[in-house]
Amino acid sequence: MSLLTVQDLKKSYDGKPVIQGIDFSINKGSCVALLGPNGAGKTTTLRMLSGLIRSSGGKISFEGMSDQSDIRFNIGYLPQHPVFHTWMSGKEFLIYVARLANMDKQIASKRADELLARVGIADAKNKRIGKYSGGMKQRLGIAQAMIHQPKLLMLDEPVSALDPIGRREVLTLMEELKQETTLLFSTHILNDAEEVSDELLLMHNGKIVEAGSLEGVRQKYRVDKLDVSFQEGFTPEEAKITALPTVLRMETNKGVHHIFVNDTNQARDEFLQLIYTEGWPLERFEVGRASLEDLFMKVVNP
Amino acid sequence: MMQFMTVFKREMLEAGRNFKWIWVPLVFILLGITDPISTYYMPQIIESVGGLPEGATFEIPTPPPHDVLMMSLAQYSQLGVLVVALMSMGLISGERKSGVAELVLVKPVKYSTYVTAKWGAVNVLVLVSFFAGMLASWYYVNLLFGDVSFIHLLWTWFFYGLWLLFVISISVFMNTLFKVPGLVGFLTILFVIITSIITNIFSHVLDWSPAKLSGYIRTMLSEGSIPADLWGTALVTIGISTALLIAAIYTFRTKEMA
Repeated sequence: MSLLTVQDLKKSYDGKPVIQGIDFSINKGSCVALLGPNGAGKTTTLRMLSGLIRSSGGKISFEGMSDQSDIRFNIGYLPQHPVFHTWMSGKEFLIYVARLANMDKQIASKRADELLARVGIADAKNKRIGKYSGGMKQRLGIAQAMIHQPKLLMLDEPVSALDPIGRREVLTLMEELKQETTLLFSTHILNDAEEVSDELLLMHNGKIVEAGSLEGVRQKYRVDKLDVSFQEGFTPEEAKITALPTVLRMETNKGVHHIFVNDTNQARDEFLQLIYTEGWPLERFEVGRASLEDLFMKVVNP
Repeated sequence: MMQFMTVFKREMLEAGRNFKWIWVPLVFILLGITDPISTYYMPQIIESVGGLPEGATFEIPTPPPHDVLMMSLAQYSQLGVLVVALMSMGLISGERKSGVAELVLVKPVKYSTYVTAKWGAVNVLVLVSFFAGMLASWYYVNLLFGDVSFIHLLWTWFFYGLWLLFVISISVFMNTLFKVPGLVGFLTILFVIITSIITNIFSHVLDWSPAKLSGYIRTMLSEGSIPADLWGTALVTIGISTALLIAAIYTFRTKEMA
């Protein structure tokens, strides 16, 4: 069941196209990473979805929503650099935005407390936001995005600006959040996408160049190769490996041998047989899986 | 309505926390009492700074009370307008520039509500401060020069308040057009000056220009009754202010600079 469907969405500034007609849909309960290099159009896309800027063409439809109703009721959005009224306390700010979403006063206050505890800044709820650290602001940002229980939570680069500790905390939080809501987040950091999301949308130059489940995309860009390394100091005879019928070529990089083959199953058997007969001190053996990094580079610079 | 009150209350809270609720009324009170006091003590002031040459006689006529009240009003039309322009220049543009607007406008709040609530909040602050200033001025006028009726003070506040409301509406409109608070303040003042200049040049046709409000208030105070032209001018001022506010909502909606 798709929650959000985007058809031929376009945006141009002064006649210059920034988003060139993208189509995608987001399933209910999924966690989607919008991945792409800087300037790919990720933020513009999210801002169009959140209603902050108007599209130059195309259609955004939300499940169970007529064309007239306000999409903002269904969406929680955390901008890349959230800015708050620094003179307010965290709790005051949450209640303020909750009231803007038409929530009742008592409910708003209760929900604000819950969320502050949830994102782990309950201790600082009465402190002025001006005194919050970057990680705390980011967490308050997530709390404000969730305050009106949106069906879709959109986070723009939620961890890019954080230090390793803050990054870890926010990623853990996202891992929890995806159990209860649909999550769409943008990032240019492949590891984050790999860690949290189950689906990928790869953007480049205002277009979606690849989309699908993490596994599916991996399969598609899978490279047939074996990655092996041996005990330190040992160098195998390259000729013996390349002599195997399925092996195409071999590259060595920092002690790891990448053996490109044309059939991984057969190659594995042949190779392990070779190791056994030669008695080589094998240490690590992996049947090729393209990392997201490889995939990214492949899609972005074909 | 609830969203309106939410934005309005937040504005009030902010004005309280950054002491606007203290300094704006204080400035208006100071502007209001400067003229009654300095006019009254003018002979003593001249005396103490050296006085007049021996034998010179210099009669300073005591102005009628309503003239002194008008002097206070003249202060408001210059420094008062400046204060209003300065304190409201970041009202919306500041939030847009800093990025807070991004968090606020992504919540399902109506753009018209957001703009009108902010407009309303500044109006309350300015009109209350202006009333405090007028009250202070009126107190000294009554004490030092003679009676001006309280009803006349209220009418003066009401009609001149419309001029301030007009200035605030210009400022809100400029706030939606531009993101830079300084530019907004400058253009607001420029707009007010141009209104005055145009009114002066085309004085014979622009009988009901907002810039003529203080002139008719003077007539009202000296004659004791509200001239018909004052009502007309008031209506025109309200009309233009409403138009500016609608234009502000419209630009804010289309501008997508949140």
